[in-house]
Amino acid sequence: MIRYLAKRILAALITIWVTTIAVSMLIHIVPGDPVQIMYAQSQGTTPEQLEEVRHRLGLDRPLVEQYVMYMGRILQGDFGKTIRGEQPVLDLLLLRLPYTLVLAATALVIAAAIGLTCGFFAAYKRGTPYDTGLMIAAIFGVSIPHFWLGLILLFVFAVNLTWLPVAGSGPENLVLPAVTLGVTNAAIIARLTRSSMIDVFSQDFIRTAKAKGMPKAIVLYRHALRSGLVPIITMMGLQFTYMMGGAIVVENVFGWNGVGRMAIQAIFQRDYPLIQGFILMFACVVVTVSILIDLMYAWLDPRIRYD
Amino acid sequence: MSERLLEPNVERGPPEGSLSEEVFEERHVPLPLRMLRSIFGNTGAIAGFAIVLTLILVAIFADAIAPFASDQMGAGRRLTPPNGTYWFGTDEFGRDIFSRVIFGAQLTIQVGVIAVGISLTVGLLIGLIGGYAGGWLERILMRGVDVLFSFTETLIALAAVAVMGPSLTNAMIAVGIAAVPFYARVTYSVALVEKNRPYFEAAYAAGAGHLRLLFVHLLPNIIPPLIVVATLGVSTAVLAAAGLSFLGLGAQPPSPEWGSMLAAGRDYFNRASWIMIYPGLAIMITVLGFNLLGDGIREALDPRQRKV
Repeated sequence: MIRYLAKRILAALITIWVTTIAVSMLIHIVPGDPVQIMYAQSQGTTPEQLEEVRHRLGLDRPLVEQYVMYMGRILQGDFGKTIRGEQPVLDLLLLRLPYTLVLAATALVIAAAIGLTCGFFAAYKRGTPYDTGLMIAAIFGVSIPHFWLGLILLFVFAVNLTWLPVAGSGPENLVLPAVTLGVTNAAIIARLTRSSMIDVFSQDFIRTAKAKGMPKAIVLYRHALRSGLVPIITMMGLQFTYMMGGAIVVENVFGWNGVGRMAIQAIFQRDYPLIQGFILMFACVVVTVSILIDLMYAWLDPRIRYD
Repeated sequence: MSERLLEPNVERGPPEGSLSEEVFEERHVPLPLRMLRSIFGNTGAIAGFAIVLTLILVAIFADAIAPFASDQMGAGRRLTPPNGTYWFGTDEFGRDIFSRVIFGAQLTIQVGVIAVGISLTVGLLIGLIGGYAGGWLERILMRGVDVLFSFTETLIALAAVAVMGPSLTNAMIAVGIAAVPFYARVTYSVALVEKNRPYFEAAYAAGAGHLRLLFVHLLPNIIPPLIVVATLGVSTAVLAAAGLSFLGLGAQPPSPEWGSMLAAGRDYFNRASWIMIYPGLAIMITVLGFNLLGDGIREALDPRQRKV
């Protein structure tokens, strides 16, 4: 168990380290002069000012030295300053990150509630019209674009029925984006839950439990659901990272003030320090989440725990 | 998983019912024929195939089908609701939405072919070489893939667009690059299994060269599962590219790309809901088609997953 975890944490650290290299080199892969591109939108910058920015970003030094400098600053918690407004990147990111996490987590709860119930029910009623109906709904759910579903929900519930606000970042604003993200992912979870449960239902220990006359409900919940949950929970961790990605799009539909919305604005404004900070932070979140899933996985599956 | 995709598991038998005899018989029918037969016995797969075929035909004959040019402003009055002349209505510039959706099919096919082409080629090479070579090359390649995999596709695509700048071509490349780790992993896992099969060992013992082993012996056996991955991959790529265009990071106006049509018409939705409905519907149906077809091919390749 300890060895397993140590290995996972080491792999995570390597991932983050590779990210820092990739991120620090990002600005050099940009075709053309990055500083000129960054300031292309602001008028009246003199060549001297551009030179000063280049010096400030360390772009006039050798690549290796730049990386060492960058790494040194990152380790001190200094992610640099935004091009526009010169605000500290880390502060901005940390201010917005909770919004994205709350959105993704709420969506995951919605997705799990709908997906697990429907998937379990479909597997239990395998081959019946319920199963077929649910699986047809699921394949539609997988195919519907987030942003389009978001627009439709916005149109119906915020514009026409005026039940919910159109944009903003209060608790009542969370409903539509979370449902948007949740519904599409519920479909994925439902499909997975169904196939996982069908697998479990056909196992010997379920037949044994049934054969010895155990009540159906206990067989279903204590035996089947428990062992069927292991692959599903692993999948849900992956889902969370997908949702972080999906949140980027959905935040922009609903004007939800998360990191995703800021990142898209940063890309438009060519604000490279902010883009770099965003990528690094996003990678850290994803890596942390995947370690947490591994922990949960180890806790659920004794084969890993006692290894 | 890969093994299950390729070979019906006769020993363990199907989970329910008795398919095993049928499965056994089926093994003597050539794979392409078996696939076709299975696809056409599956309602979902037929629907998927029909959607994909329609999409391709619409893209090829777009000029003949569309009543107006995609960028013809004032083809009708601004924001005309759907009627006999303008089937899907007109947008804020009086352009015919039906014609734009039709021409958008061409862009969608392009996205699918280019994005999946990139991820398939690069992913296949990485996975194949990683699985075949073993040793340090395998470790470097597959560790690299692991690292990329943990970034998630969205982040890779965003980073790629941030570097290259917003355009539809760049969005296609970005989406293609983002999916490479996935294709590499699938190829790698199948290659590992195939490498230990008797036929491969026989070819190796007979003195076949590296290239022959890789491309004549290994590759043909890796293709079937990759067909499934690539078909489902088209739907992911179409969704992702439309998403980027919707955010303004892909196709730019006045392109009739479906995602960018949705973005451009956003301000008019409460007055003209048809601007929002049809491009979105087009994306969904396309994605649905590839999903159904992909699922159908997967079931065709793996009878164990077939619905009873």
